[in-house]
Amino acid sequence: MNNLQQTARVGLFFLLGLALTWVTFETLSGGKLFKNKGYTLIAGFESLKELKDGDEVRMAGVKIGVVEKTRLAGRRAEAVLRIDPGTKIANDATASIVMAGLIGTNYIGIDLGSEGSPPLADGAEIKTKVTPDINTIMTEIGNLGQKLEGALSSFGTTINGDGKGGGLFQKLDKLVTENSEKVGATMTNLQEITTKLNKGEGTIGRLINDPTLHDQLVAAVSEIQATAAQAKTFVADAQGIIAQVKSGKGALGTLVYDETAADNLRSTVANLRSVSDKLAKGEGTLGKLINDDTLYISAQSTIKKADRALDGLGDSGPITAVGIVANSLF
Amino acid sequence: MKQITIILEGFGSTLLLLVRSLSYLPSLPRQRARFIEQCYMIGYTTLPIVAILSFFIGSVLALQAGYAMQNFGAKQFIGSLVGLSMARELGPVMVAILLAGRVGSAITAELASMKVYQEIDALVTMNIPPARMLVMPRLAAVLVMVPVLAIIADLVGWFGGAIVAKYVSFISIEPEGYFSVLRRYMKFGEDVAGGLIKAEIFGFGVVLVCCNIGLNTRGGPREIGAAVTRAVVVSLILILVLDYFVTKALM
Amino acid sequence: MASSTGHTRNPFTEVETPAVGVKLEGLTKSFGDHVVLDNITLSVEPGEIFVLMGPSGSGKSVLLKHIVGLEAPTSGRVLVDGHDATSGETREKVRMAMVFQAGALFNSLTVYDNLALYPREHRVADEAGIKDKVMRALQILSLEDAAKKFPSELSGGMKKRVAIARALVMEPQLMMYDEPTSELDPVMSATISEIIASLKDEYHVTTLVVSHDRELALNIAERVGILMDGKLIFLGKPDELRQPKDEQVAAFLYPKIDLKHPRYKKLET
Repeated sequence: MNNLQQTARVGLFFLLGLALTWVTFETLSGGKLFKNKGYTLIAGFESLKELKDGDEVRMAGVKIGVVEKTRLAGRRAEAVLRIDPGTKIANDATASIVMAGLIGTNYIGIDLGSEGSPPLADGAEIKTKVTPDINTIMTEIGNLGQKLEGALSSFGTTINGDGKGGGLFQKLDKLVTENSEKVGATMTNLQEITTKLNKGEGTIGRLINDPTLHDQLVAAVSEIQATAAQAKTFVADAQGIIAQVKSGKGALGTLVYDETAADNLRSTVANLRSVSDKLAKGEGTLGKLINDDTLYISAQSTIKKADRALDGLGDSGPITAVGIVANSLF
Repeated sequence: MKQITIILEGFGSTLLLLVRSLSYLPSLPRQRARFIEQCYMIGYTTLPIVAILSFFIGSVLALQAGYAMQNFGAKQFIGSLVGLSMARELGPVMVAILLAGRVGSAITAELASMKVYQEIDALVTMNIPPARMLVMPRLAAVLVMVPVLAIIADLVGWFGGAIVAKYVSFISIEPEGYFSVLRRYMKFGEDVAGGLIKAEIFGFGVVLVCCNIGLNTRGGPREIGAAVTRAVVVSLILILVLDYFVTKALM
Repeated sequence: MASSTGHTRNPFTEVETPAVGVKLEGLTKSFGDHVVLDNITLSVEPGEIFVLMGPSGSGKSVLLKHIVGLEAPTSGRVLVDGHDATSGETREKVRMAMVFQAGALFNSLTVYDNLALYPREHRVADEAGIKDKVMRALQILSLEDAAKKFPSELSGGMKKRVAIARALVMEPQLMMYDEPTSELDPVMSATISEIIASLKDEYHVTTLVVSHDRELALNIAERVGILMDGKLIFLGKPDELRQPKDEQVAAFLYPKIDLKHPRYKKLET
């Protein structure tokens, strides 16, 4: 091989190396070679969180620049943003640090601002707002968890008893064992009733087997779900209620902690049996309701009305309580 | 005791050779032809093996990382893992090791045989210092060529990783995602340039040590082979020891 | 044989430069416990042809290396034209050329480039001038055809001649030959001896030959030294060696091949 060819190859090889180095440099440092292109804005934050040099600046999701530098300035952190030339940012636009992924991938998001307001000049400061990041969200969830734990533990003592007189379940168990015969008969009757319901007989049967009605129910339920956002306040309420139940106040409290109330319950169950007997035979109003479908049409319109009523109710108290129950069921 | 003396002697003679060679640096323009020839040897002819090796190292990195990371859902970070490992560590070390095996051994063999067959002595009597004619052009060539080899190793390794990330079924990461993560977590100054500096230091050290061992060969033709073995072993040790200290210094 | 004029005539430019002398003053060299050269005092006059003889391993080559500066003496001094040989500056001031035993040609270069290396490195002329010099040197030694060959393609005798030509190109003030006739057939040995002598005659360069070739020493030397076990045991005119008085010298120069009492058997005891 002659010398000229060798020299040419070495030269070419070296140029290739230079080119590759330059390309790598350009790609990794986001075109820092053109330092003077575009203009800078300063965005001050309480904390820059995971933001670092070279992260993107996006306006409405479109990349319009990069974070050129991050620095501490007095009592705040500043990000110097290098905005592409030709991109105008309204002076009332707000910048915020946006999370693109769970682990440390952030960018600066700038909103469009209002139309017609003058653009920001080079070196100007842009308004900023704080957005919750993953850490604050985690902290909130942590607090909520603690509250729930408190509520559940007092609920637990109510159910399992606090060592004297037995808990709710023990009492219920006793109640059921004592009345097992009556309950058995009631169950048989209920079975008959459900069979009828299943066949579409009677108003409730129609109610269950009619799809249009079902849709309306679903709509109603979704409204209920929407109110579930009030769960937190309910948890607090629930804690209070449980406290009352424990001290024997209120209907449920009496039921659980009072012996005479238990006797009443026993006679109620006896009554319930006779009622269900009658129901099975088609006696009485409810019996008719089950065995006769004349009431179906009017029931349908009633549910429609209930639906509208739910619309109006919004987030008033009782519905909130129902909402949390419904939410836990669906 | 004797071993320690030998090691210290090696250090001393290497440093001496370095100082002598550097003092001849002004004669480089006159030795252009030799410089180009060494550039060709060190850079151009080493390129294919560097490319092949770095491609597969990048691929294996991506494969192993993908296998390990799929369990905890971090496999989208393969790009940065391959990128950083290639640029910061594997690229420079691999280039240096290839240089030791391919170029360093050839240099030692050539200089050792010149020494054994008295060609070095002839140069000295002709008042042509071997450091000027045989060592300096090589050192200059390695300084110019190693960064080129290292950047090629980095890039080829990244692409190897990208291909594996795309086509291996349990990884399946598109090149766009791979490179965007790679770009996001890498800086040119710290990672790529730092790696090039490392490669530069390793390559320079390898060539210097191989030259020194070659020039200090004593005895008959049998010693040539022994010198080559010694040069490669010393180079490999040097690379890994330097690696630790240079990496620490660059942090 | 022409006597020395005290000046070296340049084979190329006809410029005369003073010939140089070499002085060894109590030169002693030992490698570890092994004494190779033992207190040698010797001087080679400017423009003279001096042959140093001795059996293999007597330290002849080591002595030469001291003069070129490849080895430093353990004690004593080596002076080349009054300058200490160990100093690198001596090689700048005095042009010394050495013809190595095996030639020591650069195997990676052609014969032409081997010869051109010195003038190129020292920038003594432009490329045309260098070519002129090299071709002249090749011509003197009848090597014009070998210019483009590589050393590995040459025979032993040609290698020696190329090595001599390479030394000649340096326009030396002091020429040293290390075993110039070893490994050559008798005719080739005679040829090389003739070359050495005629180069000296022509250019009056101080010549120092290390050899154990008796014919060479007797025919071309002006003075002869014999080195044995690191000691100089003879120093004088070659004629004195034709009937040596010293037993040791005689045994070295005119060994008897006695098959009944072989020497190697004596060495064993």
